[in-house]
Amino acid sequence: MSAFIQATNLRKSFGSKLVLDDINFELPAGEPIALIGPNGAGKTTLFSIMCGYLKPDTGDIKLLGHTPGSRALFGRVGALPQDALFDPNFSLLSQLSFFAQLQGMNKARADADAMRVLTLVDLADCAKQKATSLSHGMKKRLSIAQALLGEPELVLLDEPTAGLDPMNALQIRQLIAKMAEQATFVISSHNLFELEKLCGTILYLEHGKLVQQRTLNAKVHQGFLTLTLEQGDSAQVLKALALVSGVHKVDSQQKNEYLIWFDADLAPDTDLAVLQALRSQGLRYKSLQRGQSLEQQLFAVANG
Amino acid sequence: MAAPGFGQVRNLWLITRFELRRLFASPRGWFALSAFVIIWYGLLRYPIFEASAQLQQPEVQRILGGLFGMAGMYNLLNWPLPELTAYWVMCVALLPVCTLFFTADQTCSDRSRGTLRYLMLRTSRDSLFFGRFLGQMLIQTFLISLSVLATLAMAWWRLGNLTTGALEAALIMVINLIIIIAPITAIMAMCSALVKSSRMAISLAVVGSGLVLGLLGWAAWYLPVLRELLAYMPGAQIPQVLSQHGWSTLQFTGLPLAQTAVFLLIGRQIMQGKSL
Repeated sequence: MSAFIQATNLRKSFGSKLVLDDINFELPAGEPIALIGPNGAGKTTLFSIMCGYLKPDTGDIKLLGHTPGSRALFGRVGALPQDALFDPNFSLLSQLSFFAQLQGMNKARADADAMRVLTLVDLADCAKQKATSLSHGMKKRLSIAQALLGEPELVLLDEPTAGLDPMNALQIRQLIAKMAEQATFVISSHNLFELEKLCGTILYLEHGKLVQQRTLNAKVHQGFLTLTLEQGDSAQVLKALALVSGVHKVDSQQKNEYLIWFDADLAPDTDLAVLQALRSQGLRYKSLQRGQSLEQQLFAVANG
Repeated sequence: MAAPGFGQVRNLWLITRFELRRLFASPRGWFALSAFVIIWYGLLRYPIFEASAQLQQPEVQRILGGLFGMAGMYNLLNWPLPELTAYWVMCVALLPVCTLFFTADQTCSDRSRGTLRYLMLRTSRDSLFFGRFLGQMLIQTFLISLSVLATLAMAWWRLGNLTTGALEAALIMVINLIIIIAPITAIMAMCSALVKSSRMAISLAVVGSGLVLGLLGWAAWYLPVLRELLAYMPGAQIPQVLSQHGWSTLQFTGLPLAQTAVFLLIGRQIMQGKSL
């Protein structure tokens, strides 16, 4: 059986600038997939190719076994494109209903489905309004609503929480987490925290190259603790933690945040020992988390 | 779900209908309709009414008959109503230019706004391109029919009745006008697929036409045989259409229909290859 999403030797240039360079990956259906990378890494270009908005110069990409933009994918792939807006002349309901009809629904079913997705994103009260009367966060939620019309098997979200306040961003994360049981999501974002919470697989792009593809599972988390303190002298903390039995190495990458390497097989209770050491030193902690944060993992990859 | 082939035809019709809703069920459309009614009231009340009054004078008929005859358009005065003669001349002269402006925004503002990205996840570029074109043609057919009905109403107000010949002439005019604007609408569909604003599409069409005509005129200076190509330019058949009368005006439909097909095919290719 072919992969859910498969890219082979994908290459795309704009003029003399190579934006995607020989991208190869295979992604399975299931847990949400994160597409991450710094600005200019080629995330939006890859997204645009997956949506069929752009054609690759060379190489091939298949979604659900079909080329992006092909008729076989209409209604099966939903997407939140970056910076796309609704027509200002029509109400939200009439446009969503029109989109649903284009996906093959009759008028009555299309109207009902439009209301369903508006309710999902908490915009049912605005159904008769026009997109111009909505705030930025509401427009984003509306865009996500159109991506959920029908029963898409794959939903591509480009920066779904960009520019949103924390409350709106949380709502969208909760919605994605809820809908992830029904469709496979691919999410591009700069927000590593949210991707860590939502995604099972990450694709890390840098300078147009796929630097790594990895699965965030329990094994990856073994042997690492991420400790965040309220405050404390860094030298004193490093010294105290290094003395804990089973700890190989301690590193401080940010203020009051420490990454602890330990032997998960020989010293599985290192977390308890760390807490005892902190108490004996009179140090108060904010959080102790098993494994590395996604940020630390990517930092480690980026630095070899 | 509908089968892909049928589904795209269904989508084409859905897109066409949505264009009609844009005219009849949106404030922007109502504004355009209001402007249309006001402009046509002005045209009917003054130029057409006054011209038709003059055309009823035997002396004016004699002078104009001579003038039109010199230009090969001696049949112009043979239309059953002077109101229809004035309407016909005015529409043939003005409508292509109006179409250029009226149909400039077939896909460009949706591309600029990003709305096309939503649509392309659900329907093919072909159904969108041809659906929008068909929508524009239907809207213009409706507006042309409305204007010819208003002209007939004005004649009826003067005469108290209308002959079958007048109604038949009105039908012939509507068909002719639709055929005349079809290649212009197709050119605007093509230009609209290329750029991101209606203003740019209009500029592209005007500058492009001027450039082609200029180049052709310059080339024909050195190679006179190229002058024959001018007979294939959009609107080239209009003098011949004006020289005829009644159903015989439709003998020149081949060229504009062929031009429409060619411009639509080029526009379709542009639409297919364009990034969104």
